[in-house]
Amino acid sequence: MTKRSILIAAALAAAFALLGYESSRFWAYLIYAVAISAIGAMSLNLLIGFCGQITFAQGALIGVGAYAAGNLGNAGWGGFSLIGAGVCGALCSALIGLPALRLRGLYFAISTLAAQFILSYLFKILQPLTNGVSGLVVKPLVLFGRSVASDQEYAVIAITILFLTWLFLARLAQTDVGRAFLVVRESELVARGMGIDVSRTKMKAFLLSGFFAGLCGGLLAFTSRLANPEAFEIGLSVDQTAMIIVGGLGSLSGSIVGAIFVTLLPEAIQRIGELMPSADLVSAFREMAFGGLIILFLLLEPRGLVSLARRLRSRWGGSRSSAEPQVARPGGALANDVEPVLKGRKA
Amino acid sequence: MFALQLAIAGVATGSVYALIALGIVLIYKCSGVVNFAQGAYAMLGAYLTYALIRIGLPGFAAVLLGMVLMAGVGVLTERVVLRSMLKAPIVSIMMVTLGLLIFLKAFCLAIWGPDQIAFPQIFPAGAVDFVGIHITYNYIAAFALATSLSIAFLCFYRFTSVGLMQRCAADNSRAALAIGIHVSNQVSIAWAASAALAGLGGALLATLGGLSLGISDIGLIAFPVIVVGGLDSLVGALIAGFLLGVLEAFTEGMLTPGLEELLRRFTSIQSVGALQQVIPYALLVLMLLVRPQGIFGQRGTERV
Amino acid sequence: MKSRLIGAVIAGTLALAAPAKAEITVCAWGTITGPDALVNGMTYGTRDYLEYLNQSKGGVAGNKIRVLMLDGRYKLDEELKIYRRCADQEQAVVINGWSTGASKALRDQIQEDGIPFISESFASEVLDPQKYPYTFIAGPTYEQQMIIALRDLVAKGGKKVVLMYSDNEYGRGPVNVVRHSGIIEKLGLEVADLVEYRYDAQDVTAQMLRIKSKNPDLVYVQGSTPQLLVLLRDAAKAGLPARLFVSNLYNISPAIPEQLGAAAEGFRAIQTYSFYGSDIPAMKEIAAYGAKNEIEKKDIYFIKGWLKGKVIAAAIEKVINDNKGQVPTDIKAFRKSVREAMEGLKDFDNGGITPPFTYADHQGSVQARVAEIKNGQYVPVGSWINAR
Repeated sequence: MTKRSILIAAALAAAFALLGYESSRFWAYLIYAVAISAIGAMSLNLLIGFCGQITFAQGALIGVGAYAAGNLGNAGWGGFSLIGAGVCGALCSALIGLPALRLRGLYFAISTLAAQFILSYLFKILQPLTNGVSGLVVKPLVLFGRSVASDQEYAVIAITILFLTWLFLARLAQTDVGRAFLVVRESELVARGMGIDVSRTKMKAFLLSGFFAGLCGGLLAFTSRLANPEAFEIGLSVDQTAMIIVGGLGSLSGSIVGAIFVTLLPEAIQRIGELMPSADLVSAFREMAFGGLIILFLLLEPRGLVSLARRLRSRWGGSRSSAEPQVARPGGALANDVEPVLKGRKA
Repeated sequence: MFALQLAIAGVATGSVYALIALGIVLIYKCSGVVNFAQGAYAMLGAYLTYALIRIGLPGFAAVLLGMVLMAGVGVLTERVVLRSMLKAPIVSIMMVTLGLLIFLKAFCLAIWGPDQIAFPQIFPAGAVDFVGIHITYNYIAAFALATSLSIAFLCFYRFTSVGLMQRCAADNSRAALAIGIHVSNQVSIAWAASAALAGLGGALLATLGGLSLGISDIGLIAFPVIVVGGLDSLVGALIAGFLLGVLEAFTEGMLTPGLEELLRRFTSIQSVGALQQVIPYALLVLMLLVRPQGIFGQRGTERV
Repeated sequence: MKSRLIGAVIAGTLALAAPAKAEITVCAWGTITGPDALVNGMTYGTRDYLEYLNQSKGGVAGNKIRVLMLDGRYKLDEELKIYRRCADQEQAVVINGWSTGASKALRDQIQEDGIPFISESFASEVLDPQKYPYTFIAGPTYEQQMIIALRDLVAKGGKKVVLMYSDNEYGRGPVNVVRHSGIIEKLGLEVADLVEYRYDAQDVTAQMLRIKSKNPDLVYVQGSTPQLLVLLRDAAKAGLPARLFVSNLYNISPAIPEQLGAAAEGFRAIQTYSFYGSDIPAMKEIAAYGAKNEIEKKDIYFIKGWLKGKVIAAAIEKVINDNKGQVPTDIKAFRKSVREAMEGLKDFDNGGITPPFTYADHQGSVQARVAEIKNGQYVPVGSWINAR
């Protein structure tokens, strides 16, 4: 991550924040919806893309953050409720990640699936904490004494937090911790040989990922003013995973691109589909396109949009080398040649 | 007697779980991939069977033809989708099957609409009543069909030459290639069989519970089954299917009301909700902690 | 050539700068695809009535109404997004929303935005003319309907009641309200059990066996038709007759006797609107519309939708007439006047769908009666009762 890329990112963030502030409610909504999803996607990418731990529990973790922020916010914690949401997310994530220290990839993945369902269930049952299926009504976020009520203000806040998250995670990728993640992903044996404490590294990944997932959930709670269990089911995990795959596993900017894609594409198809005569066909068409695009992407460009962009650029760049870099570039860039991460497969 | 009634209901649904789980294990053994779209295969099989009955085919013929069509769908997905992804990371392959699930669900939505549809009677209506237990012919037929097909498949796998080839290809594809087994054909056969079994399972579910897009959810119930049974054990899938079906029935019928009575007396919590859905997953977690290879699985494939 | 081009550009710019003719937009969203799609006739009905007006009378007071029907898919985030689109981009003057959850989450925003909002929900938490003057519903609340069924049981001398409900807001909310209000005990009834089931359950045999063991006189189901299909079918499996079951007005659906046949005989539901196909003036309108257009859902929900369409059209018409035949250009003022017009509807004649009602209470008609399935058809039993 160079100074140049930081400046570009900051400029983009400022531009979108301004856009969000000045535009109508609907566009501000879309901007913060994408930003919040991107925060979640980056946190998931940290776990799956960087550290190679496959998880399905993202939806539930975001939910933990949402309920935590909702309760803390209603209790008057103000801006700290977002921090609290992150901490709760981190702790929960660590709990879910404990089996990873003993189980191999695929089995661990299934255990996260179980965690997702169990947490979804708990959201509906723990009435005192979550208000069950009626959903927890969340009062608007109170920041620096002011109550944030409009969609436009939330857009600015979401973009700001997105930028800070990106900054943090991009910097992390350059540190020893970040590099340890990559080595653990490639081969735990090699990592151990290099003196990396694999268990600790994995735990750090879970904690950090969980923190940002919780943050994402907190923002969701404040923007929808309601935290209800149906929003944090396996479907959310699937959406988030789709974002990082479409964007590119291991690429932070890819997560943002993926979030834009997965959030806006259905909306775009919806508008096109409204020209169709039958209403229920529109929704079916939307879903078919979503599923079909996931499949197509994975078939044709499994390394995501960012890698596609790179390939196109190098093809048209001409003088620049067209060979893809063989090592993980510092700065959260695409860590490519992602080999089968798990050993459960037969050769 | 209530307990027996529950057990019977559980065994019937469990036999369908076994069918679905069998397919997932089969694919896992052959391709190393967990097929998240198995539930979608079941749903599609149910809808295809329905469509065939609608155009005039008698019940059993429709079910059979539905299975054949699903076998085709299985081969198609394997050829088009999985072949191209041999070198991709596992998470991508799992995502592809998830994408397939989403796509197939939307496809059925587009053609048949979002509403519940009454599934035509394939088995005679009516029931058997003895010792105070009420079992409909539907239940009996579903159980009989599911179980006999599962066992037939297990026999095929164990005792026939094609089954032997399947086992070889699954065990060590390089060695199998070396002795002349057409491994990629075997993989296609595995996918075809899985999809066909799933299709039958879906049709049976539809006779029991009506036809709707929700049939695809059974794919998720399969996970506790295969972990408890053993990810690479077909027999395990069968037995664990029954076990979990009965567990679910008993939870719904006895554990839930019992717990609710307790909770209502001492706390303000009124209901335990869908406990029968989450207990299998709790069991899954327990199994992973205590005996990760499942009851029948092979040791050594699961721990780091 | 060049001058023609410049002329065209100037003309085009002038055309854009000219004040646009004020448009009337009505937004209606429902579960077009999703768990309770079976009852989405309510959304189709609203759209179709307004289209009928557009086709047969050129709209309302000569102004065509632009109706936007969207799919909320019964997902909260989808519904919230649609609300924002309708309120902002589409500049809708009236919004017809769907779920209880969304209606609750949007409560405050609706009042802030000042948009008249008709919700399909009948939850009492959604209805509060004082606190939420912009929110309307179209009939007696779920709680009121449940009480009608309970009163009916008392009249027949029954004692034990089992309450069954789905595990979502739609199911739990009203049941909790009724339980906490103490009215069940006041009526002298006993709650033998509370049975919750998954809103997308495919099999409830175990729950039915549980209920059977409690031997109740009545099972009230706070659920929707797809669920009732599963419930009644499994009740038959367990040996529980359908005549033990009563449910709310959302379960007068042709699908129930169609798909369940004999297993549905005796099932009762609360009726608040006339049946589709009954001999009322509104049906003649529907028939006229159906002659030229495809009617997606021919059921009692469609009738409800037709009714809502009439309410919306009547309110807009009054506002235009009061405004000297002009559509108000300020959307905020327009919405405010429409709300007042809706609230001011008195003895509103809706072509026989319900008795003429006054909308001051934001509920409309609260007359209800019980309808029972006899020989595959819903037949009213007893007379209209005032739900209060």
